[in-house]
Formats: sequence, C-alpha cells, structure tokens
Amino acid sequence: MNVKVSMLALAVLAATGSTLAGSAWADPGTTVRPVDLKAMPASDAKTVLSLPKDAPVDVVTRQGAWIQLKSGKTTGWAKLFDVRLAPTGGPARASSNSEALNLALGNRGSSLTTGVRGLDADMLEKAAPNPAQFAKLQTFAQTAAEASAFARAGNLKSRDVAPLAPADVAAPATPGAAK
Amino acid sequence: MSARRAIGGGGTLLAIVALLSGCATSGGGQPSGTDILKGVLSGYSVGGVNVGAAAGVAMSANDAMREIPEPEEIQMGNDIAAALLGAAPLVDNRAQQVYVNDVGRWLALHSARPDLPWKFGILDTDSINAFATPGGNVFLSRGLVMQMHSESELAGVLAHEISHVVLKHHLKDIQKNATKNMALDLASLKAGGLVGEAAQAVARVGMEGFVRGLSREDEMQADRLGVVIAARAGYDPYGLPIVLQDLAALPQDESAMGQFLHTHPAPTERLAALEAIMPASWEAWSIANPALAGRFARTFPGQGVAAAPAAAARPAAQKPATPSKPAAKAPAKTATPKPVP
Ligand SMILES: [Zn+2]
Repeated sequence: MNVKVSMLALAVLAATGSTLAGSAWADPGTTVRPVDLKAMPASDAKTVLSLPKDAPVDVVTRQGAWIQLKSGKTTGWAKLFDVRLAPTGGPARASSNSEALNLALGNRGSSLTTGVRGLDADMLEKAAPNPAQFAKLQTFAQTAAEASAFARAGNLKSRDVAPLAPADVAAPATPGAAK
Repeated sequence: MSARRAIGGGGTLLAIVALLSGCATSGGGQPSGTDILKGVLSGYSVGGVNVGAAAGVAMSANDAMREIPEPEEIQMGNDIAAALLGAAPLVDNRAQQVYVNDVGRWLALHSARPDLPWKFGILDTDSINAFATPGGNVFLSRGLVMQMHSESELAGVLAHEISHVVLKHHLKDIQKNATKNMALDLASLKAGGLVGEAAQAVARVGMEGFVRGLSREDEMQADRLGVVIAARAGYDPYGLPIVLQDLAALPQDESAMGQFLHTHPAPTERLAALEAIMPASWEAWSIANPALAGRFARTFPGQGVAAAPAAAARPAAQKPATPSKPAAKAPAKTATPKPVP
C-alpha cells in the first residue's frame, strides 16, 4: 500500500522535476555512497545511472526525502541523505547577499543599524533584560484556534505518528487530545 | 514579607539553590533555613503556586532535583526570553513574526505540551542559531531563517526547538548548573529585592546554558522528536534534514556558524542519525504543497520557491515583493500545480 501512495507522489514529483530540469539552479554536490539514480523519486523506479561514492553531481532540486541530480547528461533522483552539498563561501556570500536578504526579511536596511551582527557568547552572557521586546513578543502569539485555521488554509492535516524511540515523550497526534 | 527583607546574600544563594534543585527530604531541616526558603520561594512563586510551602524544609544542593511546577517554569522561561531579547531584538516585521507563531503553535499542538503559552520570535541577528527557553519561548535568528526555502524547513527547525521544551532539556540543564554556578554570582546579589535578583540570577544561568549548549544526546533526541512532531502536524518531515544539509555546506567555523557550532553536534552527524531512524514509509509524505509554497514565499520574498526562475511556469505565482537573489544555498523546492492527498 506504500507503493500506491508513493506512485501517486512520484507522478506529481516527476512533473515538478521536469519544470526545473535544465534551469540554472544546479548546485554542486557529491555522493556519499554508491547511488542508483532513479527515473522517478521512488525506490522501486527504474535506475537510469549508477554512480560511485564521491561522484560529483549537480543538484537540480530537492523534494523532501528526494533530491534530483544531474550527472553528465543524465538526470535522476536519489535520496536526500545520499548527497553532500559542496561547501559554500559562507560569510562572504552571506554578506554579499545580506542587503537583499534583509529586504526579504522586511528590515529595509534598518537592521544594519538596529540588528545584531553576530550573537556571540559574550553578548549572551552580558545581556540585560529587555522587557519592552518581551512585551512585543507576546503580541505575536497565536491561539490554538488561529493556528488551526492557518493549518487548514495550508492544507495541513494531522497524522498519527508514533515516536521513533521509546525514550521520547509520546505526544498526542491530534490537537486538543492532550490533558 | 519581612522574612524576605531580613535575608542576606547567603539566604539568596540558598533560596536559588532550593528553587532549582529543591527536594522534599524529611529529615535534617533547620528551622532558620526553612523560614528563609519559605520567604523567598513564596516570593518567587507565580500563578498562586506557593513553592515555599511545598519546600517545607531546608534544602541541600545534593538532593534529588524536584519537578518544577509549570507556572514557575513559565516565569523562568519568560525571564530568560527577556534577557535573550536584550542580546538581540526582534525582527521588526509583524507579518513574519505572526507567520512563525502560526507554524510554531500548530506544531506545538501536536506535542505533549500543547497548552503552554507558546511564543515564537525571529531575532534580528546575522548569526545562525536557535533558542528555546523553558515554558515555551522559541527563537530563531534571522541568519538561520535566511537559510530556509520552505515552510516545512521552518517547521523542521521549530519542531526541534519545541521538542527541547517538551522534554524540558533546558530546564534540567538550568537545575543542574544553577547549583554548581550560583555561588559565583553570590557577590553580585544584594540583600533586598530578592525576587527580582533571584529571577535575574536564574535567567543568567539560562543564558549561560545557551552558550554552554545542551548534551549531544539532548540534541539528538530533539531531532528525533522534532521530525515526529512535524510529521504529526502534516508537514513533510524532511524539512529539518534539508536545513541540516544546507548548514553542513557552510564553512564549519566561527564566522558562519558561531555559537551554533559549539553547542550542536555537527550537521553531518545529525543527518546520519536522522537517516538511520526516519522510516522509509515517511518518504510518501514528501509531497509538494502549493498552499505552503505560496505563503512562505510571500512572507519571505526571495527565499521561497515561488521566487525561483521556475516561477514563470506557475501561472498563479505571486510576484515577490523584492527582486532579490535566491538564498545562499538554494536548490529550490518546487511547487506543483495541484495538491495530492
Ligand atoms: Zn537543539
């Protein structure tokens, strides 16, 4: 029955993948183990190419557990965990993007003066309480009803999922089931 | 509360130790200690819970940790949150903050502590980090949010932090370390106004906890429970692994990762642990959800999938408000034309 669900999923994913394949979005990565690239994002799909460990690949897109890779002229799907992304520039890259990203986060540049560049150990240890900011934080809180409406609008449906380890606290699967 | 006023620094120390590691031993109590504890603890109490009365006798730092009542945990967490906000303010964007609260509260409703006064905030700092206080305050740094491309990634990170709260990781860490470290802070505590002083001292131990970090096992457990909570809430549970995959590609040094690097197991280690434990049956939940893609992209223009070049192929795609580049590492998740059951 799993197969049925995943076949449904992969039909959608296959359509998705094709829209992005060939776009300029490829990011480099390497395989962390030998990987069979699949024609579609499903373990039982046809293998289109077998790659060794440490093979260089281009990442076309990611979809949850699946990652679409390009090797030479072949495109196929692997598991997310099969791939390590190539190291990025990090800080330099972050700063070159920071203006756009500040805008993206709605700071309109003002964060450059009001925000904190790096939040280091010293700042954490020496911080004085800011009650005004805490009061502001409280104004953002959402009720259970508001959050549930938000979930409905996002087509999010609760699932029954068992804990992955006995030591983990078992939580109710549906809202309101607690207590 | 004359008892409170009469207490000197030594009383303060005792009181804080008792507050955090209090016990209910039946023997060996000294009356004067009891009075001190009753005075200070009842002063600290919130929500009508008289901690002092429950303590009853003098405390020893070596006694077993008591269960801290929830109202007290919440007050403690709020004090820590206020201190954290003194280190970095909130991003000044109500829509984004409310969005994060909607996602966070929905996730928390699928945890074992759905009714805490959950509050979520994006801190205005470039650093990549996330924090959870006892009692249900959760913070993400702007730098971390900038790494994300989808609501399920946001949900994955929030669910990890929610798990710390549900499992009381920081609360236990504070209890453990307060008894060890409080003596060092004794000199800075003055007689009088003990409640405020004690609260601040506790908040300081909490802030030090953010610097010290939790145990490796606590982090792994929060990952493990976090992906379950995300899955229960209806999200693609691979959001957290995707964020970790991106963090693993950042330079693993001070400049990019800062404190986060010191306080968390390496992203690659966490990925390996998640791979070992996430069931193959969950892969069927990796289904694109257009409703989520659209609203994430609208809330964080330039980061969501709708801002990707492929957006042209999506007829109803909302134009991003700013023509910004995709986030640093962005093999974008894609939106599909129609929802799937
Ligand atoms: Zn953590």
